[in-house]
Parts: sequence; C-alpha cells; structure tokens
Amino acid sequence: MTTTTVTTVPTTKSARKRPIGFYIASTWLGLMVFLAVFGPFLPLPTWNEAQFEFLGAGPFSAPGHLLGTTNDGYDMLSGLVNGARISIFVSVVSVTIGGLIGGVIGISSAYYRGKFDSVVQMVFNIMLSIPNLVLSLALISSFAADTDEQTATVARRMTVLIFSLTIVIVPIVGRIARGSALQWSNREFVLASKSMGTPNLVIIRKHILPNVAPAMLAIAFLAVGSVIIVEGSLALLGVGIPGGASWGSMLATGRNYLEFSPHEVYMPALAIAFTVISTNYFGDYVRNHLDKRESKI
Amino acid sequence: MSTVIKVEGLSVSFATPRGELKAVRDVSIELQEGESLGVVGESGSGKTVLSRSIMGLLPSTATRTGKITFQGEVISELPKDKVRDLWGTGMAMVFQDPMTALNPVRRIGDQLTESLTVRLGMSKKDAKVRAIELLERVRIPDPKSMMRKFPYQLSGGMRQRIMIAIAVSCKPEMLFADEPTTALDVTVQAQVLELISELRKEFNMAMILVTHDLGVVAGHTDKIAVMYAGDVVEYAPTRELFSNMKMPYTEALLKSIPRLETPTGTRLPVIEGRLPDPTKNEPGCPFANRCAYVTDKCRAEKPPLTDGGNGHFYRCWFPIGGAK
Repeated sequence: MTTTTVTTVPTTKSARKRPIGFYIASTWLGLMVFLAVFGPFLPLPTWNEAQFEFLGAGPFSAPGHLLGTTNDGYDMLSGLVNGARISIFVSVVSVTIGGLIGGVIGISSAYYRGKFDSVVQMVFNIMLSIPNLVLSLALISSFAADTDEQTATVARRMTVLIFSLTIVIVPIVGRIARGSALQWSNREFVLASKSMGTPNLVIIRKHILPNVAPAMLAIAFLAVGSVIIVEGSLALLGVGIPGGASWGSMLATGRNYLEFSPHEVYMPALAIAFTVISTNYFGDYVRNHLDKRESKI
Repeated sequence: MSTVIKVEGLSVSFATPRGELKAVRDVSIELQEGESLGVVGESGSGKTVLSRSIMGLLPSTATRTGKITFQGEVISELPKDKVRDLWGTGMAMVFQDPMTALNPVRRIGDQLTESLTVRLGMSKKDAKVRAIELLERVRIPDPKSMMRKFPYQLSGGMRQRIMIAIAVSCKPEMLFADEPTTALDVTVQAQVLELISELRKEFNMAMILVTHDLGVVAGHTDKIAVMYAGDVVEYAPTRELFSNMKMPYTEALLKSIPRLETPTGTRLPVIEGRLPDPTKNEPGCPFANRCAYVTDKCRAEKPPLTDGGNGHFYRCWFPIGGAK
C-alpha cells in the first residue's frame, strides 16, 4: 500500500491567525454600533420615563429591568443603550468631519509645501497647544450655556459639542496625514505620474490618498476613543448633553447617588472603558495590518 | 526632418548650504525627429539633472538658465502649467528604478489607463483596450490578467516594460530614458534597450538615453554627449566618437568597461580620484587631477568646447590624436 503524504500549504488567509483581542474588540464595537442604530426598536422601557415602583434597584433584582434602575427610577439598560447612541453618534460624526477636514488640509499642505504648508503647520501647532477640554468648555459655555433667558436644548448642545470636538480632531488627524503624505509625495511614482502630465488633484486622489488612508484610519479609531472620554469629562463638568442622555451624563447624574446605587456609576463607566479600549485596540490593529503590501516586496 | 528639441546654453544650479552647486554648465544640444542622443558620464556628472531640466522636472531649489526650444516653441520661458501640458503627450520619461516608479497600492491597469483617461480623455473602456494593446506591444505575456496585478507581483524587467508602456502611451515626440536598465538584471537589460529602440523607431520619437555605460549607448544612439562635472566634454555622432575618440576622459571611461578578451585576473583599470567639488569654481580643466596626459596649461585654464569637424566637439587642450 502506498501512502500519499499530503503537505498542506497554509494559504495566507487561514495562516494569518488573529489575536483573541481582535475578536473581543470587534464584538464589543459591533454590539455598540448595533445598539446605537437599532436601540429605539428594541423592546426596552423608555429610557427617560421614570418607573416609580423601582427606585435604585440593583442589577437583576427588578422584573423588567435587567440591569436595574437609577435612583430616580430610570431603566439602566435602556439608558445605556441610548447613551451608546449619543456617545457613538457624537464621536463618529466629529471624527468623520474633523478627519476629512484635517486630512484634506494635511495632505494638500504636504503636497504643495511652500508658504501654505508653513501656515498650516503653525495653525495646527497653535490648535494643539490649547488643551481640548478647555477649548470645548469655552465654546459650549459661550454658545450653548443655560442662561436666565434660555435653556440650552439638546440639539443646540449637541451641535456645539460636535463642533468643538471637530476642532480638536482636525489638527490631530491633519498632522498625521501631513507627515504620511510628505513621505509619499517625495516618492518616484508621484514624479513619474507628474511627468505624464497628470493634474495635481488626480495625483493626490489616486496616488497619495490610498497610501495615507491606513495611517488616517488608525488615528481616527484612536480619536473616537479619546472623543468619547472628552465628552464624558465635559458631562462630568456639567456641560454635557442635558438630561442624562450620554454615558458621560449618566455618570454625572449617578455620582450623586454613589452610596445608594453604585451601579448607576460603574455601568456607564465600564461602557466607556470597554469602548475606548476596543477602539484603541482596533486603531493599533488597523495600523499594523493595513499597511502591509509594501513591506512584502 | 524637423528639429524636435534644441537646447542652448543650459545651466542648472542648486542652492545648497555650502553655496551654489553647479550641476549642469552651459550645455547645448539639438535633436532631430526620431534621432537619439546618449548622455554618458559617471555618477554625479549631471546627466540626470540635464535630462530632468530639459523636461522641467526639477525641484524648486533648482535655478535653470538657457533657452530650450521644443518643436519650434520656446518652453524655457513658459509658465509651469503650460509646460505640464506637454508632459506625457509631448515628452515623457522612463525612470531609473521601476521598483519605486510604480505605486505599490494600485493595480497595473489603473496606473496604465490613468494617463489615457486623464490626458487623452479616453473613456474607461477604450483606455482599457488601448492599455492591453500597449502591454502586448511591450511583450508582456497574458496582458489581460496583468491589468489586475499589483507591482509587487512582477519582476523588475516586467515593471520596466510597464513603465515604458506608460511613457509611450500618449505617443510623445520626445522620450527621456534616465538609466532605464541600471536597476535591472544584466540578462534583461539588452531586451529592455532593444524594446525602447524599437518603440522609438515605431513612434518616430526623439530620445535622450542617459546612462553611465558607454556599451549601452553604442548600439542604440545616433549621437553621444559625454558629461563630466556638469560639462559636456565630448559631443559627436556615435560612429565618429568610437572611431576617433578625442577626449582622455572618454577613453578612460571606455577602458574601465570589462572585456571578454582580457585574461582572467587582470585588474580592471579605474579612473583614479574623484569628481571636483561642484560648489567650488576652480580654474583649469575639471578633469586635470585625474587625467593621464595632464599639463600645466590644463591646471591653469579651462579648455573651451572645440569643433573638431564631422560634428565632433571636444573640451580638451591636447586631444588624443592631436587637434585637427
């Protein structure tokens, strides 16, 4: 009898084993995004309607309230789900807008160089030298503060919050994009394309952007994490989204009842922590794995 | 036959922290339709800067003086975007290293059709058909599947063929080939040069072939300009140059090419010494310190470009075989 030896050559896809952290992080982020999108359609109690028969019930102790209620009788789970909606909306929108603006400015300043580049660098440095919490605080208190004449609406607060966070993101992404684009703009294939008479905009779009995108995507993930934290800090300082809507605002309300219902604090805190750790991990993963093709050569 | 390009008194210098670096000094050349010129010299002699400056592809730190006429139009005075309109369709360049001249993250097809759609305004479908024709023309096997490949999947020789296909895609009248074979394996160098020569004849392009190898230019050019320290030191029709060499530097260059008939173990002659510092303006012939026939006159006075007849110019006080 002849035995045939079959040598299995692992294909690149199956051979590349992803670390366990990748699965945990992506599952958590996937769950958060799912909750943010489909939260209102889930069979949960209304998040901002108090249930007076249960005040400050602990997790798994009250029927119909899986994670308990707050000291004011709001359902924890639906509060967290709504918080995911707000926190993720705020961070994704501000990072997307800020990333696009920062990317466009960063890449074009690296490509065209000259005076434009010097000015952009100066502006970025000035923006980065202002602590982002102070900047957001100043913007919100001057444009969306509760005064005697008016109370800040949720929409107004949110707009100003997103705007101020966008301003924080622009130089962060912009500098990364500039640094990466600078390196790619000096490559010979850019000169080769230029020597065929290709217009600058086409070169930027087709030759520089695809190479800079991985670095920008990685920093965008990291930025989502830090924006969630900034939003939480602002809420703790009392200028977050009013009415206990975001995770940070839940924390801010909950810390008053720390001794009676501690779950009111640690649950949103854990939600923030897990989400930030996941986005950071994801950002690192993207940076390590998306920029591979050239190192293969 | 009409003149495609005429360069008169071209000088290029770079501003460096150590002072003005003169990379090209007072060079004049002229090329007819379909004619090819080989520019030869060692590293740092200014041959790449010469070809890039004619095209206008220099970085902003460079200053260029002189007059360049391309197809009857003076292009040295034109604004940048007008010159850019000529790139690709009027003149194109094949770069030295095909490993870096292709974008690593884009497919061959996308890079090849880019100039066809952007510069010639072809539709995506037409451009694709034309690109496959071009790949066939540069003898790429299975051009259809090649369109979907990435540069890292190809060998150096294949990439250089693709660079050549890109360069000729808009049918330029003038092709610059900047050391197109230097980065390639010796076995494919001859094929790539043969391909460039074929395409040049087919499209009736004028060509400037930059190389440091006199052997390369011998079979593929009509004229040769030998450069040394930014100067053209000898300029002659190819046949005339090899049969009646005037310049000691050219002779030394030719001697330093390995030959089959020399016995094993013989040391290859080298040109002793180095190029003079390009930021300093020393009197005398720049080659004086390395020349086998140097005299006091060579060290004191720089020789002018002398007409030796038969279209043969040289820059030497004591040319080999004597002056005319």
